Amino acid sequence: MGFEPKIIAFCCNWCSYAAADLAGTARMQYPHNVRIIRVMCSGMVHPELVLDALSHGADGVIVLGCHLGECHYQDGNHKALARSAVITELLEDFGYETERYEISWLSSSEPDRLVKAFTDITERVRKMGPVNAHDLAG
Amino acid sequence: MGTVINIAPITRIEGHAKIAIHLDDQGNVRDTFLHIQSLRGFEKFVEGRPAEEIPRIVTRICGICPWMHHLAASKAVDAAFGVTPPPAGRLLREICQLFAHITDKILHFFFLAAPDFVLGPDADYSVRNVMGIVKAEPELAARVVKMRQLGQMMLERLAGKAIHPVAGVVGGFSRPMLETERQELLRDAETLLDFSCYALDFAKNTVFTRYMDVIRELGAITTGFLGTVDRDDGSLRLYDGRQRLMKADGSCIDFEGDRYADHIGEHVEPWSYGKMPYAKSWQEGFSLNPAAPAGIYRSNTLARINVCEKISTPRAQAALEEFRGIFGRPAQQTLLYHYTRLIELLYVCERAIELLQRDEVTDTRIRAAAEPRAGRGVGIVEAPRGTLIHDYTTDRNGCITKANLIVGTTHNIGPMNMSVRQAATSLIKGGVYDEGLLNKVEMAVRAYDP
Amino acid sequence: MSVRAALEWLNSCSGCEIAILNIGEALVPLLTQHLDLVHAPILMDHKYLGQRGDGTELDIPEAEVGLVSGGVANIEHLQVLVKMRERCRVLIALGTCATHGGIPALMNGQDRREGWEGVFATRTTDPGCSVPDIEVPAPLDRVYACDEKVKIDLFLPGCPPNPALIAEVLMAVVEGRDPVLPQKSVCDTCPAKREGKGAVSVVRRFLINAEFLAEDPVGRMRCLLEQGFMCMGPVTAAGCAGRGLPRCIEARVPCRGCFGPVRRDGNQMLDMMNALASNGIDFKSVVDRRSLLRFSGAHGLLRPVKKKPAAGRG
Repeated sequence: MGFEPKIIAFCCNWCSYAAADLAGTARMQYPHNVRIIRVMCSGMVHPELVLDALSHGADGVIVLGCHLGECHYQDGNHKALARSAVITELLEDFGYETERYEISWLSSSEPDRLVKAFTDITERVRKMGPVNAHDLAG
Repeated sequence: MGTVINIAPITRIEGHAKIAIHLDDQGNVRDTFLHIQSLRGFEKFVEGRPAEEIPRIVTRICGICPWMHHLAASKAVDAAFGVTPPPAGRLLREICQLFAHITDKILHFFFLAAPDFVLGPDADYSVRNVMGIVKAEPELAARVVKMRQLGQMMLERLAGKAIHPVAGVVGGFSRPMLETERQELLRDAETLLDFSCYALDFAKNTVFTRYMDVIRELGAITTGFLGTVDRDDGSLRLYDGRQRLMKADGSCIDFEGDRYADHIGEHVEPWSYGKMPYAKSWQEGFSLNPAAPAGIYRSNTLARINVCEKISTPRAQAALEEFRGIFGRPAQQTLLYHYTRLIELLYVCERAIELLQRDEVTDTRIRAAAEPRAGRGVGIVEAPRGTLIHDYTTDRNGCITKANLIVGTTHNIGPMNMSVRQAATSLIKGGVYDEGLLNKVEMAVRAYDP
Repeated sequence: MSVRAALEWLNSCSGCEIAILNIGEALVPLLTQHLDLVHAPILMDHKYLGQRGDGTELDIPEAEVGLVSGGVANIEHLQVLVKMRERCRVLIALGTCATHGGIPALMNGQDRREGWEGVFATRTTDPGCSVPDIEVPAPLDRVYACDEKVKIDLFLPGCPPNPALIAEVLMAVVEGRDPVLPQKSVCDTCPAKREGKGAVSVVRRFLINAEFLAEDPVGRMRCLLEQGFMCMGPVTAAGCAGRGLPRCIEARVPCRGCFGPVRRDGNQMLDMMNALASNGIDFKSVVDRRSLLRFSGAHGLLRPVKKKPAAGRG
């Protein structure tokens, strides 16, 4: 009985959520470990949501947004990128390995990129093991 | 094996402490301990912080005297960064320090100490407090509350925050004083000076005359003293000056603050989180033995009054002369702290008025720009409770690498232990004691306003 | 009909207690008519172990309302807090130390053992001293906020808390109603002029004064964040405004977050870094970002820096 990581994926409605739909209709398989949360734009993912996920049972978090320049709301994904830098920098402050978090870009017609992104993070986090519960205080 | 009486907590002090009185089989006092209970670690957790943030972090060492830590830290960081505040900036800092001393002394004498004198040390504990004073002397209480509040509001009007201030910044002060503010503050300072004259008269008539035998005896010990004096004429100084360490025989050594580590060491006992400073430069070591104390000196009002040659303001000077006429110099009796606190109250009101009258106080050049750099600085001010020393070392980013803090009240921890022993030993015999007697032992601590 | 009240202080500095005194003239009727103080070490002489000092178990009388200031850092704090919870019907966490750990929770960023040992190894401390451990309460593994240990009925943050809000809360208990407390961020109460943060790309240290005309009201001063200073107004709970505006801004000094996060379970460091990044300001230009948690380092938020084994750095 190996460790099965729980991965939370914040998927932007316009690109990655649509890509996930497309992956589904094309019968492409991705790891069952990934739980998708649809957001209207990757830019609305507050760093706190990532930390919340990690402190409430997620072992890894991925944010998937549109390619830069293709955001439905013009510059939402630029905000996501800026916030992502904060998350990456601060994760260690809160006792999490930086590699548990990732941001990636794709378009609605790239289900293969989505599958690869999900697979990669699941395998990476599987090797890292679960978030160390005893490291986190109350 | 005898009993242990635990006075826990010591009440009407600023801090967490308990007294343990160990009785022998005959019920006489074998040993006493003042166990200081609190330890927060400021010297450690300021490491890594940018030095200019320190003055608004270390205020939280004490919510009654936050201005003192604020200013000692500002002075230390000024020194570490090699910057000198412009005259108006320095004036504004000292004015705030004086306002803070005013409210602190009113608080201590009337809210914390007076219940023992106005209601009596043996009064039932449920009335022996400021609420009891309100019931027994409503007009006095109303006036006291109003005066203390006035002082706090003067600080807020000038500096935004009275508790845990922010206006003292590295290089000076954060905002200039306006002329309209100056006029109002002058008027209010005169009101406070009036009240201070009344306070000393009140104390002389209702406290000091009535309790003179208690004053002469309770907790009385013999020690040296530490304070700050003017570099030119040796008069009492609180914001800046030279440090003076006096032996019990009245002989003095003066030193510049940045050499403090040559003169002061800190002894540690495993039964007190509070360390015990002692005079290293006397080369006697450290001992609390009442028959042969070694290295022991006191700080706070009695000490400052003893070490100064004189006071530069007229009413306080007159009060000092009267005091010295009765009690000599240095005066040793512990309960005289209350008397000297009120003499100092006169000084700080008069000095505040003096500074507010200076033309340059409303100058808008209040802060010199600072660049972060590697350095070390020592900043010293006289807090109400004693000589406060902040010592910071910075790296080349201007962040703290090392800190040493000797807080004003800690100089008195050794002496308080001695006073407790003296009081308990003389009051408790044959296992006979009551609640009022235990309160008297506490009074020997309360005088130090720890 | 006065309400029985108890006041305790844990890992505190007494600033909250002075804030109570700063209620002003309303303090007199509050302390003598509306409230009946049955236990309050700073003001009156009720003792833990009996008035003759011969008890063995810490005791505090029953009260309708209890106020606790200070965080929980040693076993005695915990004992006192638990007893206060047991004896007081309504328990109020007073001040940011009680609600979020406060400044003393900066100790949570230190290695536990090295931290305490360092305090007893300063420049002037006699060499060879170890941390005292006789008749003094042993430290816990870190500094906690009160609600991490007991249920708290009401949270009144602030360093210090606003005297007007303390009075409001106490009178609400006396009158049997819900208190009216502010809900938003400090910016909501700040009159400074906003013109857009576009020009700011890095954060400046507060080593020179802000730009303002002394004789002009604060409403004419440009927002301190827009002047390029770190100001934690956006990520700090409102409540400090005493005379119509935030107290530090009144002194022309930027906010450092002393009322704790806007939402009780918020993270001031994360929120501030996020706010900077979202506005195109280089968050890496902040020196010592860990001190953004200086008031809210409890709840497991502030922790010692993990030493990286492979890199060989200390």
